[in-house]
Amino acid sequence: MTDTSAAESTVEDDPLAQHAAQHAAHDGRSRGADRRRVVRHVRAVAATEYRLAVRGRWALALTGLFTLFGAMIVTFSGSTVGPDGTERIVASLTSLATYLVPLAALALGYDAIVGREAEGWLAVVFSLPIRRGEFVAGTYLGRLVVLAGATVLGFGFTGFLLVREFGVARWGAFVTFLVAAVAVGAAFLAIAVLLSTVAREKTHALGLSLLVWVWFVLVHDLLALGVIAAFTLPDTVLSVLVVANPASVFRVLVLSGLGTAAGGGFTAVLADTGLSAAILAAALLAWCVAPVVLAVRLVDRRRL
Amino acid sequence: MNVNATEVRKTYDDVTALDGLSLSIPSGSTFGILGTNGAGKSTLFRLLVGHDRPDDGTLAVGGADVTAEGHRIREHVGYLPERVGFPPALTGREVLAFHATVRGLPADGRIDRAVDRVGLEPAAVDRAVGGYSNGMQRRLGLATVLLPDPAVLILDEPTAGLDPRGVDEFHRIVGRINDETDATVVFCSHALAEVERLCDRVAVLHDGAVHAVGTVDDIVAAADADPTPSEHGSRTGLRAAFHDVVTAAGAPPVEVSR
Repeated sequence: MTDTSAAESTVEDDPLAQHAAQHAAHDGRSRGADRRRVVRHVRAVAATEYRLAVRGRWALALTGLFTLFGAMIVTFSGSTVGPDGTERIVASLTSLATYLVPLAALALGYDAIVGREAEGWLAVVFSLPIRRGEFVAGTYLGRLVVLAGATVLGFGFTGFLLVREFGVARWGAFVTFLVAAVAVGAAFLAIAVLLSTVAREKTHALGLSLLVWVWFVLVHDLLALGVIAAFTLPDTVLSVLVVANPASVFRVLVLSGLGTAAGGGFTAVLADTGLSAAILAAALLAWCVAPVVLAVRLVDRRRL
Repeated sequence: MNVNATEVRKTYDDVTALDGLSLSIPSGSTFGILGTNGAGKSTLFRLLVGHDRPDDGTLAVGGADVTAEGHRIREHVGYLPERVGFPPALTGREVLAFHATVRGLPADGRIDRAVDRVGLEPAAVDRAVGGYSNGMQRRLGLATVLLPDPAVLILDEPTAGLDPRGVDEFHRIVGRINDETDATVVFCSHALAEVERLCDRVAVLHDGAVHAVGTVDDIVAAADADPTPSEHGSRTGLRAAFHDVVTAAGAPPVEVSR
């Protein structure tokens, strides 16, 4: 009665399959069904994350922030202290977005995983027939929709003011800025999700996110400039220095389209590195994908 | 659907959570796992649903290996963790709809049925979870678990933090599951009276291993007959293990008796 060293009952033929048969009408085992299931899972998580971000006023706050700062730059263009002309305004917007968009993305994403774990939601969701990677991907995409929407709407208002002020002659430069701003936000959001997967507590994730922002936005380019000033470096090294920082990629991508006159400092130095728009766009895309892929790998090892 | 664990070992850093645990839970039974804090109950449950992997040994649900087929197994298992939580801005209905969507369940009124089964007020289901009491959150958690009509229910301390009325309600729900379905129900508890009331069979866990399996009557009789002393600090023998459980449940602290 009290001896438990051996299994007491035999394994049934395949009761799991028997139970599965009850659900067969709305479930399949084919590859196509598996793909549909992955899409369904990712979409369900993304929709929930989007809903939560909207209810948490994140969408409203970010849109308001981007609208306010963008409009201020355009408005100042009418005064003696502000930039004049579409290209200079886009250059000013780029400088602003280099600081603001990464910060907003990191703030939006730092608690993506660790925050849900603290709520107890992660343990609930991971008990469902959903792969952990699907949850990470859905979380990223749901928050990305919020960030991208806020970027397009917020800075889009600035674009509207630009068109009203200067017409559509240089509209392309602004569109490039807008797309790149969405992409750099996506890159930093991906980094935030990765940090959230690594951190054990929300405060740790927040601290790591701030460190990442300081490094990429404030320190990296200063150090790079110092290295460039001190040594004669081949173009390849300069290119690596750029693609190693998504904020630099964003800045170079937008400003190089405006001509070097619009940029300065690091961007002016990089004018001859041979980094094409396609390479820069590919680098930004890699910054969006690689951290999420790494987060998907790491979340499997996370102990709940 | 039966549940089997064979020689399962799990350590976290230097702490041995499970130490060669073997256990067999028959299909369709209501099975209680008794043990004090740190006995290994929650670790066993986490391994059973694939939240973690054993260092050694095998775990199987319905004959399928959990480590290899955790994802497939979770389609047929409802698991209520010890600490259940939901994003506070979601309504109860949205939480249930999320579960139904992920599981690919048809919209056939099962959300309302699950809500009814756990005794959650229909009006409360459309309110944000952030305003729920602990008892309401536990009920919502139970509703999410019951949603797919699972073949195996694994409930980790399901009555923890509930008031007596909530505990009673939970007992009624488990009773109904017993009567209406052939699901295997596995839950852990500190409370001897609870498992005695609900379970066909019970396992006593102590220091990461199973010390006894049987009905509560059998185990009490075996504990009384166990010559190993049950004084505080003793860590061997059924009597000592059962003594700790009974003491934790609030029963007289020295003698193993009911």
